[in-house]
Amino acid sequence: MVTGACGNELGCDARTTPRSRNHAPSGTADPERGKGYMRCSLFMNVNMVHNTKRLTRRDILRATGVAGIAATAGCVDLGGGGESGPYEIGMVDSQTGSLSAFGERNQRGRDLALSAVNDVGIGGRELSISVQDSQSQQSTGVSAAQQLVNQEGVPFLIGAVGSGVSIAIYQSVIEGTDVVQLSQNSTSPGLTDYPGLLRMSPTGRTQSSALADIISEDGNESVALTYVNNDYGSGITQAFRDAYDGEILYDSSHDQGQSSYSSVVSQMANTDADAWLFITYQPEFTTMTQEAYSSGVEGQATWYGADSVQGSDVLDNTPEGSLEGMKVVLPSAPVDQENYQSFASEFESEYDREPTVWAAYAYDCVVTAALSIQAADEFTGAALGDVVRDVTRPEGEQVTSFEAASEILADGGSASDVDYQGVSGPIDFDENGDPVAYLQILTVQDHEYESTGFITGE
Amino acid sequence: MADETRSAFEESEDTRQAQIERATNAVLVAAALALVGGTLVGLVSPSYLVFLVSLAAMYGLLSLGLNVQWGYAGLINFSVAAFFGLGAYVPVLLSASGSPITDAVPPIVGLFAAVVVTVLLALAIGIPTLSLREDYLAIASLGLAEVVRLVFRNQENWTGGTSGVGGIPLFFEGVPVLGTLPRDIGTVDLGIYTLGFQFWNGLLNALIVGSFVLVSYLVLRRVHRSPWGRVLRTIRSDEDLAEALGKNAYAFRMQAFVLGSVVTMLAGVYYAYSNYFLTPGIFDPIYTFYAWIAVILGGSGSNRGALFGGVVIVAIIEGTRAFGLSASWRLFAVGLLIILVMRFRPQGVLPPRDELIWPGARGGGTDE
Amino acid sequence: MIGSLSAAGVLASAVAQLGGGYLPQLLNYLANGVVFSAIIVLGGIGLSLVYSIANFANFAHGDTMTVGAYAGLVTLGAVGTAGPQLFSLPLGFYAALLAGIAVAAIVAVATHYLIYEPLDVDSIGLLITSIGVAFVYRALVQLRFGTGTYEYDIATLRPIPWIEDLTGITLTEHEVAIVLVSTTLVVALHVVLQYTTLGRTMRATADNESLAKVSGIRTDRVITSMWVIGAGLAGAAGVFLGLYNQLSPRMGFNLLLVVFAAVILGGIGSVYGAMLGGFVIGMVNRLTPVLTDVGIPIEPAYANAIAFVIMVLVLLVRPTGIAGEEVT
Repeated sequence: MVTGACGNELGCDARTTPRSRNHAPSGTADPERGKGYMRCSLFMNVNMVHNTKRLTRRDILRATGVAGIAATAGCVDLGGGGESGPYEIGMVDSQTGSLSAFGERNQRGRDLALSAVNDVGIGGRELSISVQDSQSQQSTGVSAAQQLVNQEGVPFLIGAVGSGVSIAIYQSVIEGTDVVQLSQNSTSPGLTDYPGLLRMSPTGRTQSSALADIISEDGNESVALTYVNNDYGSGITQAFRDAYDGEILYDSSHDQGQSSYSSVVSQMANTDADAWLFITYQPEFTTMTQEAYSSGVEGQATWYGADSVQGSDVLDNTPEGSLEGMKVVLPSAPVDQENYQSFASEFESEYDREPTVWAAYAYDCVVTAALSIQAADEFTGAALGDVVRDVTRPEGEQVTSFEAASEILADGGSASDVDYQGVSGPIDFDENGDPVAYLQILTVQDHEYESTGFITGE
Repeated sequence: MADETRSAFEESEDTRQAQIERATNAVLVAAALALVGGTLVGLVSPSYLVFLVSLAAMYGLLSLGLNVQWGYAGLINFSVAAFFGLGAYVPVLLSASGSPITDAVPPIVGLFAAVVVTVLLALAIGIPTLSLREDYLAIASLGLAEVVRLVFRNQENWTGGTSGVGGIPLFFEGVPVLGTLPRDIGTVDLGIYTLGFQFWNGLLNALIVGSFVLVSYLVLRRVHRSPWGRVLRTIRSDEDLAEALGKNAYAFRMQAFVLGSVVTMLAGVYYAYSNYFLTPGIFDPIYTFYAWIAVILGGSGSNRGALFGGVVIVAIIEGTRAFGLSASWRLFAVGLLIILVMRFRPQGVLPPRDELIWPGARGGGTDE
Repeated sequence: MIGSLSAAGVLASAVAQLGGGYLPQLLNYLANGVVFSAIIVLGGIGLSLVYSIANFANFAHGDTMTVGAYAGLVTLGAVGTAGPQLFSLPLGFYAALLAGIAVAAIVAVATHYLIYEPLDVDSIGLLITSIGVAFVYRALVQLRFGTGTYEYDIATLRPIPWIEDLTGITLTEHEVAIVLVSTTLVVALHVVLQYTTLGRTMRATADNESLAKVSGIRTDRVITSMWVIGAGLAGAAGVFLGLYNQLSPRMGFNLLLVVFAAVILGGIGSVYGAMLGGFVIGMVNRLTPVLTDVGIPIEPAYANAIAFVIMVLVLLVRPTGIAGEEVT
């Protein structure tokens, strides 16, 4: 066997060396090992057993035996079956992955809602939610939905956070079935194209129009914008481009989770735009603010932001004065209403922090599901689908808590006798499954967010 | 050159291997029976069962493709995910209503277009990298796959970028009977189950991916036993010898690379037409690493091993989900699995049998 | 040679095209490049050391950086930010740096003895095993800290005024600290390699392990030291990366390929090559926006892609890299 001239890898040509070189660091040939064994490594254990006939049967076995372990593990769950057990619905949430921050907020809202619902009960039975992680990815989200819908047989699915995930779940698992899907956080305008896909957070289109209006009204004739490169960012940006009639001097995406955005910031600073628009998440925006501050350019233009750039994390991690005067438009809960205020105080006493609108959406999803279950004739997707819109529509008596709505239904009322006003807004699903938009404008003053206006969408 | 006496080590290896194979068979049979039984008594939903089978077949395709490249030709190819994504994106960009390019091409034609593009990309990646040493090939192929991913992510005007591409039609759209079959069958009520559109569609998709697997498996098996396959194995074990015999090692490796990439691409096609919405996340390197674990666990060079590895991967992914374990535990389990396999059984569970390199090699003769 | 000429050409045409006012912008990109390269260099040295002495491509190197960064996070949280400051970094940060180095080193040595050493596979087998190790590191970090992002509890700074006034370059004290400390570490390594017995034995082992063993060098000690130094530098790189921006579980892995590109450019097996390669790749990465500024439609999002293409070109044209076969 040829050993080769170069005993070790150092300084050897990176081109192929005969396989014989690339083994143990000493690189010497082993005459014993050379026989009958692939020189390469222990991977290919040359096995002398002759047995071609069994091959075919094994393949058939394999084809049928597939994933047995997984399925048998996952399947011993009869779902929300029986007559007296809890009603079980499903939820696909971003517990990990790029959108895990939303998953956390959703979890708080969901848990609070669950306890509110189960304090009263639904016709004597409890509500239970089976939650699966989408990992903020489409394929995992679809798998999760497959398990919840097809295996556990839930008739109502709350999901998902990412707009791409919601659409994928709808098209590959839900469409054509009777299962009701209600997305808790997806904002991409794309979901409007699927009337069967309901959502609790309004379409980003309203936000984009509002931003375009505010920027123009403030006298800014030119804008430099940057958006996070995902369906959320591109959706809002596309709508903004359509709505804004001034000049867009800089329009560039950036990736989530990068170490530095200094090039974006410096390129924005290079344009002489009157306004800078940021459509991204808190960590990325924090980095950009820090870098703008470090380069001394943060005062160059007026700053505007879409909903996800605001949050306590941003204020905590950016220097005083760096965001002064910045305006953010975000979907908002009706903060002046009593039901929101009681929700907020419950939330604060439970979690020691103020609720975000995302938690409010998750809360409303759970309550809407519970109301639908109570109002429906039976616990099936078809029956739930019939009533889910009606329990939130303007016909009927306005109620602001599950308890009150539940009373009306228990007294013999039907879905159209109830108009649930959620803690996130009036809801009122339209024919595309979108809720009414309710937006708030926040301005940063003295390094704090001050509410400076409300906008109601169409 | 007839059978000479074999060493005791080889004998015991054979027995152990046979034992492992029997054990593996037993486990698979038991699992299959449990699954089927579970479906019959109402524990396992048929839709979910069909979904799992399809998923396993998809990962099986990824592993089969990689097995051609690594198992037959010894190429440390880390660009599997690029071809997976390509197989998904090319037909979709030609046939989906949400595509920025066109939606006029029927999906089946799109499949052939994907083959062409795959071959081109395989050449583009292969030409610079296949002559490199193993570990450099790994790094370079990973790097080029990343470039592909970045292109698909950032070129919104061509690929829809991160907004994704929606409106993907059924795979058989436009085809007379198959195109509407899932809807035409309607709902079948079996008492414990009602089988509706989602089930029939899922079943059709399972048949599609199953036929991809079958065709690939048969082709690869045929190829493995052909003169071409023999040359490849010779190249893998001793390139100098192959070159001395007048074989152009580089060309053979390139062919293996292209063939493997086409098989991988088929997995992507299935993915697109069963998920109906596509985002660049499909190019994530994790798919490359899943394929690698499957091949290593299954046994490099062995097609049945590759399929077995695919099954195990799905078992881990969906099994940990069923037990309610978080994604981090899944990552931990996968990492630990790699380490354990490499430590205790680097040749995999079902390494290739009957690996005839050259006649004199059997039985420890003294040819050199 | 060709590379540097074309790079210089692009830069010159940038200034010519966009006018003298572009110069400060360009200098800023260059300054960013220096800071970023410092991190890449620290990571690259470790990778190159492992390659030359343990003879495999360590795919867990990126996640070793992550481990170091999070160890620093915990230490900084424990020690606090009170006390005297150097470059506006509290003493606690330097403690965090040491902790990051130490923890990364310990983890790497443990991994070597528990996992790599008992294995009886070739370098490809080790490469694949290191992928498993990378997953395990990352999973453990995620299990303990979750998948979100963290920041060191250190305030952000304004740029240093006199530098800005003089040259237009915006540089903060933190960035200066990163560059200076990295340089110190690299110089220290150079001293060790050239002037100490350990360094000599390391170079000998890297050159020819069997010969080294035969000459009586305790190669197992050398290998341990190699892991300590290589992983320690990676840990430092992770801490700096966390300071430069944020901590997240994928922070190391995301950078790994770029570090590989740097090491390959510099020449596998050569520590000095890794330094040079790291510098070049880091600069190119941060200079990518120049392309769009001069009208070449390659967006900054492709910065890493450019590094990978360079890497492949190097492998095709001059596989031994810039520093060639020289080990030291």
